[in-house]
Formats: sequence, C-alpha cells, structure tokens
Amino acid sequence: MENLMLLAPEIVVAATGLIILFIGVFMSPRTKNILGYLATLGVLAALVLTIQSFGIEATMFSGTVSIDALSQFFKLVFLAVALIVSVASIKYNENSDHTEEFYSLVLFATLGMMVVASSNDFILLFCAFELASFATYALAGFEKQNQVSLEGAMKYFMMGAVSSALMLFGISFVYGATGTTSIPMIAENASLLAENPIGLVAVVLLIAGFGFKMALVPFHMWAPDTYQGSPSVVSSLLAAGSKKMGFVAAFRVFILALAALQPDWQLAFTILAVVTMTFGNVVAVSQTSVKRMLAYSSLAQAGYIAMAFVVMTPMALTGGIFYTLAHAFMKGGAFIAAGAVVWMITTQRTGDLQVPDHLDNFRGLGKRMPLVALCMTVFVFALAGIPLTSGFMAKFVLFSSAIQAGMTWLAVIAILNSALSLFYYARLVRYMYFLPPEGKKIGLPFPYAAALLLATAGVFAMGLWPEPFLQWAMEAAKVLI
Amino acid sequence: MLPVASLLILVPLIFAAVTFFTKTKDQAAGLAFLGSIATLGLTLYAYLNFDSSTAVMQFFESIDWIPLLGVKYSVGIDGVSLPLILLNAIVIPFLILYSWKEDRESPNRFYGLILTMQAAVIGVFVSLDFVVFYVFWELTLIPLFFMVNIWGGEKRAHASYKFFIYTHVASLVMLLGIFGLFYASWQQTGVPTFDIRTLVAQFQFLGSGLLRDAIFLSIIFGFLAKLPIFPFHSWLPDAYTEAPTAGSVLFILLKIGGYGLFRISLPMLPNTGNPELMITMLGFLGAFSILYGALVALRQKDLKRMIAYSSLSHMGYVLLGSAGLVTLSVSGAMFQQFSHGLIMSIMFMSAGAIQTSTGTRIINNLGGLAKKMPMLAVLMMLGFMASLGLPGLTGFIAEFLVLAFSYVNLPGFVLLALLSIVITAGYNLWAMQRAMFGVYSEKFGDVRDIDSLQVFSMGIIALLVLYFGLNPNPVLNMMITNSKAIVSLAAALGV
Repeated sequence: MENLMLLAPEIVVAATGLIILFIGVFMSPRTKNILGYLATLGVLAALVLTIQSFGIEATMFSGTVSIDALSQFFKLVFLAVALIVSVASIKYNENSDHTEEFYSLVLFATLGMMVVASSNDFILLFCAFELASFATYALAGFEKQNQVSLEGAMKYFMMGAVSSALMLFGISFVYGATGTTSIPMIAENASLLAENPIGLVAVVLLIAGFGFKMALVPFHMWAPDTYQGSPSVVSSLLAAGSKKMGFVAAFRVFILALAALQPDWQLAFTILAVVTMTFGNVVAVSQTSVKRMLAYSSLAQAGYIAMAFVVMTPMALTGGIFYTLAHAFMKGGAFIAAGAVVWMITTQRTGDLQVPDHLDNFRGLGKRMPLVALCMTVFVFALAGIPLTSGFMAKFVLFSSAIQAGMTWLAVIAILNSALSLFYYARLVRYMYFLPPEGKKIGLPFPYAAALLLATAGVFAMGLWPEPFLQWAMEAAKVLI
Repeated sequence: MLPVASLLILVPLIFAAVTFFTKTKDQAAGLAFLGSIATLGLTLYAYLNFDSSTAVMQFFESIDWIPLLGVKYSVGIDGVSLPLILLNAIVIPFLILYSWKEDRESPNRFYGLILTMQAAVIGVFVSLDFVVFYVFWELTLIPLFFMVNIWGGEKRAHASYKFFIYTHVASLVMLLGIFGLFYASWQQTGVPTFDIRTLVAQFQFLGSGLLRDAIFLSIIFGFLAKLPIFPFHSWLPDAYTEAPTAGSVLFILLKIGGYGLFRISLPMLPNTGNPELMITMLGFLGAFSILYGALVALRQKDLKRMIAYSSLSHMGYVLLGSAGLVTLSVSGAMFQQFSHGLIMSIMFMSAGAIQTSTGTRIINNLGGLAKKMPMLAVLMMLGFMASLGLPGLTGFIAEFLVLAFSYVNLPGFVLLALLSIVITAGYNLWAMQRAMFGVYSEKFGDVRDIDSLQVFSMGIIALLVLYFGLNPNPVLNMMITNSKAIVSLAAALGV
C-alpha cells in the first residue's frame, strides 16, 4: 500500500472541489458566498501541506507519480495562484448562481496542474494535462452572455484540442520508438530515440503541444483573446497558473525524457524564446486594453522563462523555476487588479463600458482606488524588473546565467526587451497617477484587497528575501540535471 | 558607534513613508524637513567621527542577504562617499525650506519623493555590494521620474520618459558588465561574491584583455550616461529643464555617475586590456564635453536650459580629472562633484524663482530684475560667479585642480578644455547681464523678491560655496587621501 499521505495536498484539493460541488447544489445563491471561503481554506491547507512536505522524495503507483523537489516547487506555484484566485473570486461570484461550479472548476484545474507537476509517465501527464485544460476551457467561457468571453473561450478550446492531439501524437512516436511511456525509462532508452528520425518528429510535435500552453510564439494566437475575454480571475489563473503547467511538463519531458535529443530542441527553444519575448514586448506597446497588454507581456515573460531551455545550466534552470513563482505573483496580481477596475467600471457605469479594461478607464486610478493603483504599480514595476521585487531577482538570476554560460548575446536581447517593456508598464503607471480621475473614489471590496495584498506580499517576499525561494528552486533544478 | 551607514538610508526612508500619509502642505513639508535635519545630524556625526587620514572603509557593516549568490548587504563610508553624502544632507533641508511656500498638487507625495530620493542616493554612496549598489541605483530613477512627470513643465511626459528609458538602458548595460565581472570572478575563485572591493581587486586576474575591456566599458557606460557626458547626455537638457525647481536640484544631487567612476571604474582602469586607449578615450570625452556643453550653453534662450548645458560642461571636468590619473586631478574631479552640487543648486533655485515671479525663463524677455529682486540678484550673482570659476569660490578650486594636474598626463585635452573658460565666463555673465541688469521690462508689473525662507536657504548654500571656496580642506583632505590610494594602484602598474 502506497503512503497516501504523500499525496495529501492533491487529496485536499480534490476533496474540497467535490465537497463544494456537492453542497453547493443545496444552497441558495445568498449563502453560496461561503463556498469561496471554503475553497480558500482548502487551498490554504494544501499549501501548508505542500510546504511541510518539502524535501521528501518518493515515487508512487509503479513509478508513475514522482514526489520530488521539482513537483513540490510547482505545486507551491499552482497553489499560490489558486489561493490568490480563489480569494479574489469571492467578490466575482457574489450573488452568482454558479458559484459551486466555478470553485470546483478552479480546484480541479489546480489539481490537474499539480498532478502534471508530479507526473513521471506520459499517460498520467496527458490525462492530468487534459483535466486542467478542460476545467480552464469551461472557466474561460464562464460569462455565457459575454460575446468576447465566448469567442476567447472558443479559440482557446479549439487550439487547445488541436495541441492536445499533436502532443498525443508526439507521445505515440516516443512510445513507438522506445516501447515505454515512463519518463525515466524513455531517458534510459534515449539512444533508440536519438538514432531514429522519429525522435525529431516527436520533438516537433511535443514542442507544438506544450508551446500552446506555454503561449510561445507562434502557438500563442489564443492567448491575447482568451486573457482579455475571460473573467479577470480566470485570466489570472490561466496566465499565472496553467502557463506554468506547460513549463513544468516541458521541463520533465524535454530535459529528463528527451535529453538525448537536446541539440534539436535546444535550437528550437532558442528561436522560440527570442521570437516570443521580442514579439510579446513589441506588440504590447500598442495595446489599449490593459488585459490584452498584460497578455502580450505574459508572452514576453514566457519567452524569458524559455531561456532556461536554451542556457541549460543549473543556474539557468534555477532562474527559470524561480521565475515561474515570481511571475505567478506578479501576473496573477496584475490580472486581479485589472479585474477590480473592470468591476468598478461595470458597477459605476462610467467610462468605456464596451472595453471595461481600456487604458482610459485607468485614468486617475490612484485617486479612485488607491490600493489597486498602488498594487498594480508594484506588479508592473516587478514585471519590468525594478529592484527589490520578485521580477528583478528572477531576471537577475536567469539573465545573468546566460552570461555565465557565455551566451551574452541572449542576455543582451533579453535585457533590451526588458527595457522596452518598461515603456508600456510606465505608461500604465502614468495613467493611474498622473492623469485626472474620471469619476469618484470607490471603496474596494475586501476579497480584491486581500488577493492583491497576498500577491504584493509574494512579490516583495521574493524580492527582499529571495534566499529560501532560490534554495527551493535550486533543489528543484537539481532534479533536472 | 551608531550604524551610521544604514541609518543614513533608513531615516530618510522612514520619514518619506510617513510623509506620504500627511494631509496638508505644512505637515508634509514640516515632516520632510524634520527627516532631512535628522539625516543631516547623522551625517555630521559620521563626519565628526571620520578619520580622513586613511582610505580605509569606515562605519562598515555587512550582513548576508542571498548567500547562494554571495550577495551581502554591505555598507560603509570612506573619503569618496562622505563628501557626497554631506552634499546631499546639506542641500536637501534647504531645498525643502526653499519649496515650502510654493503651492502644488499633493505636497505629501512631493516631499515624500524628495526624501525617497535622498535615501536612494545615499544608498548608492554607501553600498559596497554590487547588488545593493544596483538596487539603490535603480531606485533613484523612480522619484525623479514621478517628480518630472507630475510637477514638471509643459513637455514633462516626453522628458520624463526619455530620462527613464535612457538611463534605465544605460543601467542595464552596466548590469551586464557587473554580471560579467561576477561570473568571471566566480569561475576564477570558485566563490561567488558581489563585493565591490573584492571584485575590483580581482579584476586584473580575470579572463583575457578583451573580456576585461568589455566589462570595463559596459560598466563605465552606465556611469557616463548618468554623469552625463557627451554623447550620452541627450536626456539631460530635457529632464533638467522640464523638472520643477526641486526636481532639477535633485538631478544635480544625483552624483552617482561620478561616484561610480571613482569607486569602481578608476581602480579597474589600470588593469584593462588597453589602459592607454581607455585613458585617451575618457580624456577626450571629458574635454570635449567641457567645450561642447559650454558652446551649446552659450546659445540657449531658456535660462534653465542654459544652466542644464553648463552642467554638462562642468561634468566634463569630473571625467577629465579622473582620466588625468594624478592624485590632485582626481581630487579635483571629486571636489568638482561636491562644488557643482552646491553651485547648481543656487543656479536652479534662482531660475525657478525667476520663473515663479515673472512667468518666463526666456533670457531675452527678462531684464532689469535686480531692481525688483535685489536679494535674488545678490545670491544668483554669487552662484553664476562660482559657476564661471571665480577664485575664492568652490568652482575655482575644482577646475584649477583638474586643469593644472590633468596637464601632467593629458596636455592636449587640457588645452582643448581651456578654451571653454572664456566661453563659460561669456555665457554666465551674458545671461546675468541680460536677465538681471539693464532696463526693467514693465510688462511684468510688480514683481516680488524671493521670500525669506528662500533667501535663507539659498543664502546658506551660497555661504557654503564661499566657505569651501576659501577653505576646501575639510572635504578636500579626505578626497586627497582616497585619490592617492586610487592613483597608487595605477602608478604601481606603470600606467
């Protein structure tokens, strides 16, 4: 009998999701708000359990599930995102009829991501990937009356389905060549794959499949529409959480299983990383919708993280892994802040209601919603890499690792990109603080405030005291080397 | 002993945080003034307990910050940093007094940002770890960006963005150099460290000459752009001109570019792959900036813009003196930083006062103001005279030291720079004459002189210009001690 206690975080998340779904059916819309607190509590418990289990290493269920530093770290990332999202959703779901569905979908998506992080077998990886994907497809289209939301969800679903198919196709090639779906076994039989031209096809297919979730250019087409159209709390989950699932899966699949084919995928990731960061930043400059701008900046950030695959030193992997957690707080928080503004615009009925997240609606936000403006400023400055924030630390480790590995050109491209990004981030700050407000001051609902403060605390914790996080990231990176 | 170095950062920062929450103008200015006085007190404490006969780091503190990467929070004060801390600590209380009576939107943020700026600038001066250094270095951007963008002139948006992006990119290039230095040393010794003094000392053992040149150039690029020096100066005229008076003075107090030169670049210079070439390059850029800044200042119509370009010219002396690599030329360059901060504060405060009372800064539209603003005329005269290098004032000592002693190694460039002396006298006197003397233009109506707080604050700074002009030793001695240490490194290598 396996020691199920090792899976306690997953079990708690799954159980909370099921309980919410079950008891929600018997509750009236007025009392359903309590479900949000229940979900938060569940996530919090799982978070504590995960942190407690740091340092444990084990494989379970015939080696299909691996509990190691890498999976623990990413569980931390996913649960942190889930925490921020579920806290903020308490306001979003106020007086909604579908509260229980919303929270159980968030929790199942989180569960899927957590299992992906632990997957040591292609079949489990794929199933967990799909669990998370399907939950997020539904969440993206949660506002059934909103055309933009539906369009975004549709795109996301269509492209997601195709990419899953490609991924599965790639997995089948790997299985065909090596005769196994277990990641360690594939790594052992790597020579079979390296000698076979099928290996190359598999790499291409798998990159396309994971590239979709990581939102690397050119597999990013869905991301801006989906991030903009989805409810902000869901965009937060997508950008901060499910994108990281793509990364952890790619870490395991490429670095562990397909190590023998490193020259091939390394070249591909080099091109993808450079193109993605540059494209994301250049297009973000011209956006007038803040959520869209955040979506493109999210592409750029994915491009930076993808540098880890290019540089491939322990330092770079540490930096890439550290970056995923840093990005979770920054981007997760930024979408929640955008969500708070959208909420303000729709309840106040002032400003641009067609595009509630329009840049113009952020005018004078420093006066109208001081806390949101302040937190948003912290998030965007962190995304730009201003010191004392998590973003600076992450870039610091990741970019400098490129120099260490002798890839100064890559560091230069990344740094120039990062300078360019400052332009559109600073513009948002200017709108919030320097332009006169249109409308009066409005009180911020507690859940938004709590979620924003959580994310801000994360940003500063990682910026001011990065040692423990770096330590964890370094442990996680060791799994890959 | 008090942990002065840390307190010098913390005290203004804490006062800044509280100032942000004040409600009225008087509360904000009062609290900020209190904070700056506390900082001044700490600085004087450091000064009185400072041993200027040694180049050793004093008030040293060090705590592990990110042990994995060898990052430490290390701070300390020596003869390179103390005069600049002194400059900041002296000018900022008077800057707050000067601005007290002015009406502006959200004074709490205004004064809060001034103190944040002070903390960040002092942070740069005391940090002895590259990461801490870079953190404070970047932090200085934010208050200035807001300062220009909120309270600046008509083209404030353009100016603030240009400043922000320009200097941010320069800082990033500098960061690349720092990383290069860090990894080269890590590879060599197996121990990661960001300690500035250790890395600078190890520089000579790292990699090929080409690599060392690349590291040196990318780090010094950040300093030259911040100083600024031709051709990296294009953010300066816009930012200085569009900033509110207090902002312009803060820009002037931002002596981190020159400081970096003394702390980091000069000790590295003799160990670069090709020191002769580097010295020639720096000497040329310095001399050319002196001449170029003066020439461009001569043809400015806007008083503030003229002062901005004159600042470019004066910063050239810092670079020229550094490149001179003689104890007294380097000391002169350090003294120029100190002196320039005081002089330019008076000049920008004068220009600000003129704009407030007449509504214009176009020199040709002014005239005869001395009749209506006698107090301002006296103080402004002193500032302009100091700027053109009148003996007995600080500017003279700095320029004399730089020109006389850089001649030892760089005679050609000194001759080039000498041309600017005439031009500097020209634009200063000409501007003074057209703005303050001559026929009073009646269209301004009844112009009022500067108020007593402004007279007091400008007066004190003017007195300091006079005092240090007559008796530079209190700060010059410690500069000479440290310059000797810097130059002896170069001399040992025969550069």
